[in-house]
Amino acid sequence: MHPSYLIVAGLDFTALPQQLVNGLLLGAIYALIALGYTMVYGVLKLINFAHGEVYMLGAYTALFTSWYFGFLPNLNQYPNSSFWILLIMLAGSMIVCAIIGVLIERFAYRPMRNNSRIASLITAIGVSLLFQYGGALFLPNSPPPSVAEKVNPFGGAFSVPIIPADAKLSEVVKATQPDYEQKKKDLEEYLASTGQEEFSSDPQVVAKRDAKQAAEQSYMDAKRKLETSGVKVTIQRGQLTMLLTAIVLMLGLRYLVLKTPAGRAMRAVSLDFDSAALMGINVDRVITWTFVIGSAMAGAGAMMTATFLGTPLTTQYGVQPGVKAFVAAVLGGIGNIPGAALGGILMGVAENLVVWIGFSQYRDAIAFVVLIFILLYRPGGLLGSAKVEKV
Amino acid sequence: MTLIQRFTGQIAAVAALGILIGCGSPETGGAKPNGTATNTSKGPETTPDATAAARPVSPGAGNKAGGNTLLIGMVASVNGELKPWGDDCVKGGQLAVEEVNAKGGIDGKKIDLRIGDSNSKPEQGKSAAEKLISDGVLGIVGEVASGITIQIAGSAFEKGIPVIAVGATRTDLTAKGNNIFRVCYTDAFQGPVMATFAYKDLGLRKVAMMTDKKQPYSTGLSDSFRKKFAELGGEIVDEQFYESGQTTFSGQLTNLKAKNPDGLFMSGYFTEVGPIARQAKDAGLNVKMLGGDGWDSSDLFTSGGEAIQGGYYCNHYSNKEQRPEVKDFITRWTAKFGKEPATAMGALGYDATMLMLDALKRAKTKDSKALIDAIADTTDFPGISGKVTLKGNGGDPPKRALIVQVGKGELIPAKAYEWDEVMKGAAAGSTGQK
Repeated sequence: MHPSYLIVAGLDFTALPQQLVNGLLLGAIYALIALGYTMVYGVLKLINFAHGEVYMLGAYTALFTSWYFGFLPNLNQYPNSSFWILLIMLAGSMIVCAIIGVLIERFAYRPMRNNSRIASLITAIGVSLLFQYGGALFLPNSPPPSVAEKVNPFGGAFSVPIIPADAKLSEVVKATQPDYEQKKKDLEEYLASTGQEEFSSDPQVVAKRDAKQAAEQSYMDAKRKLETSGVKVTIQRGQLTMLLTAIVLMLGLRYLVLKTPAGRAMRAVSLDFDSAALMGINVDRVITWTFVIGSAMAGAGAMMTATFLGTPLTTQYGVQPGVKAFVAAVLGGIGNIPGAALGGILMGVAENLVVWIGFSQYRDAIAFVVLIFILLYRPGGLLGSAKVEKV
Repeated sequence: MTLIQRFTGQIAAVAALGILIGCGSPETGGAKPNGTATNTSKGPETTPDATAAARPVSPGAGNKAGGNTLLIGMVASVNGELKPWGDDCVKGGQLAVEEVNAKGGIDGKKIDLRIGDSNSKPEQGKSAAEKLISDGVLGIVGEVASGITIQIAGSAFEKGIPVIAVGATRTDLTAKGNNIFRVCYTDAFQGPVMATFAYKDLGLRKVAMMTDKKQPYSTGLSDSFRKKFAELGGEIVDEQFYESGQTTFSGQLTNLKAKNPDGLFMSGYFTEVGPIARQAKDAGLNVKMLGGDGWDSSDLFTSGGEAIQGGYYCNHYSNKEQRPEVKDFITRWTAKFGKEPATAMGALGYDATMLMLDALKRAKTKDSKALIDAIADTTDFPGISGKVTLKGNGGDPPKRALIVQVGKGELIPAKAYEWDEVMKGAAAGSTGQK
């Protein structure tokens, strides 16, 4: 039996745990990207709109690295993948993104630093467009390529049961299986012996096919009923790898910012740019490091989504995650590093909850509605300070 | 060829660079030619007969044949994103003309095929068509993309020149005027074909749908699928939405899984269909996957990986078909060009050109006006991709559709459907389960 008491007001609560986990996995990636926005804002008070494009280039780097290791889109022969290839892809994306981030800062933002902030903002939008449309001239774009799934050695998933499945149903499955297999064999043997096509309209084939399909229906139906009679959470090994990597990176960042001299310098610059400079902190170097770290985080996120989700790459790849992560950063309180992580995860969970209650067509819109409400009541974001800034 | 519309859309998006960038996603959807205000597959149930009555008559005088050759124009994407389709289309045209000329041409006159390059862009397609018209072509073959075809049709309508579109499936395209025809089926046909196949041949009863709400192509296809599937007695257990450009679908798929479907219809483009298929398998949704010709790209193999293997979609034609005319066509093509056509547009380009020449042969006088009448009068033209009958159908032939199965790096023809089998409810094929 489907645990029907878990359907309340049209909502299927059996799907809720899975949706929360989905949200967490998605949110971890948003958080990684949001860190870049928030760190740059913290130090420079600049919204780095080109950050989404750094993310896009990170995904392309992962693609090219996978090509280098022989995972070309020629389908039939893939080399064996290993954890090390993934690690090299991750490192490659992080390094390339770090370099690109630094270059953007050096050539686009630094010359503008003493001009009004709006000028830097426009420059950021310009850089973003440059990569989106300029990139389309050089990067494989159409038809869009994607990282081969075979590069991921962590295939498969594991399930965590919350309410165990109904044991009686497994007997139904067992009972219907032989009939299905018999009918399937019948059809296959008939097709093989007469040389007919599976979907031919020959009455004999049709009869056998219909019989097979009826048996298949009852068998598969029993199987699916068994599957949904319990409540469980399924997590892909690849996605779990993503989540763990994201957590490790975020913890590393926390250590870096709170416990190292470089982190202290970063916090000092964030607190008061001019005074920090007067106290002998090399502000340019701090800013460079901020871009290195922020961009590397985006690169890590990009490598993981490109590898584990299989989305085809275009030069627009970073637009949507970039916007979402920006919202996440604002939601958590822009400039605040734990805030970015929290905001990212909240965004991921909120999106999946919206889908869960049945409004998948408003998935993206709802993120912004949440943002508006939070900003109405906490203008500084969840963890940010709400002081009024004079611009 | 709907996915092509999407690429032209990307180009249009590049052209519309001024659109704000920070918020929202300025990619394909919005600026897509068939997604713009004029749009599209409304009324997917419009029968060809209904459109035939309403088609405005072209006011132009047309061109007349002069000299020792008969001029025919072709607009194709010789350059740009659609080059693979454009190349095949041009080759198909050249093969057709060569064959007719080898048999002595028409009325002792040789055919001269002039190629105009649309550069995969609607505006350039328009100017290429206008150049061809001023050169004196009697008719124009092209294009593969609906967005470009609309532009060509506009110019040709004013000048009274017939147009035979190659792969443009947008449903309302031929309503433009009585000079516009095509050799492919429309989007209003694909949905019912897949619904019939799902219900009768695969025996599916509870299908879930994933619809790209940003693409009118996808929403229209989902609607026509839903309607036919319900009519047959099946149940659409759930429909979830996404937008092109999104990368994670786990939320939607978790919901679908809870509804216990036995099939998943994905009406969007291969760019999202691939990842959805992968993530569906990841979510434990082991169901049969179905879709429209938006899947038709070799990229599907990489973006969908193993997950998409075993899925079925609706296509125009396949090189691997066992029909004698296809085998013969492939032999002739291979003899001339060295290898098989890379896309279905080779056969469709050949069919469109051949149809134009066939009509020219039948035309009483060798001018555009008589040619329009002759094309409109076409009955049972034996195309490689299927029989084309335009008489009484407006510009939309009741074509056959071929369902192909996605294999490991190759497409396997599964079943062909004739128009009548699906649209007139007279199922000649399987009787289905009771």
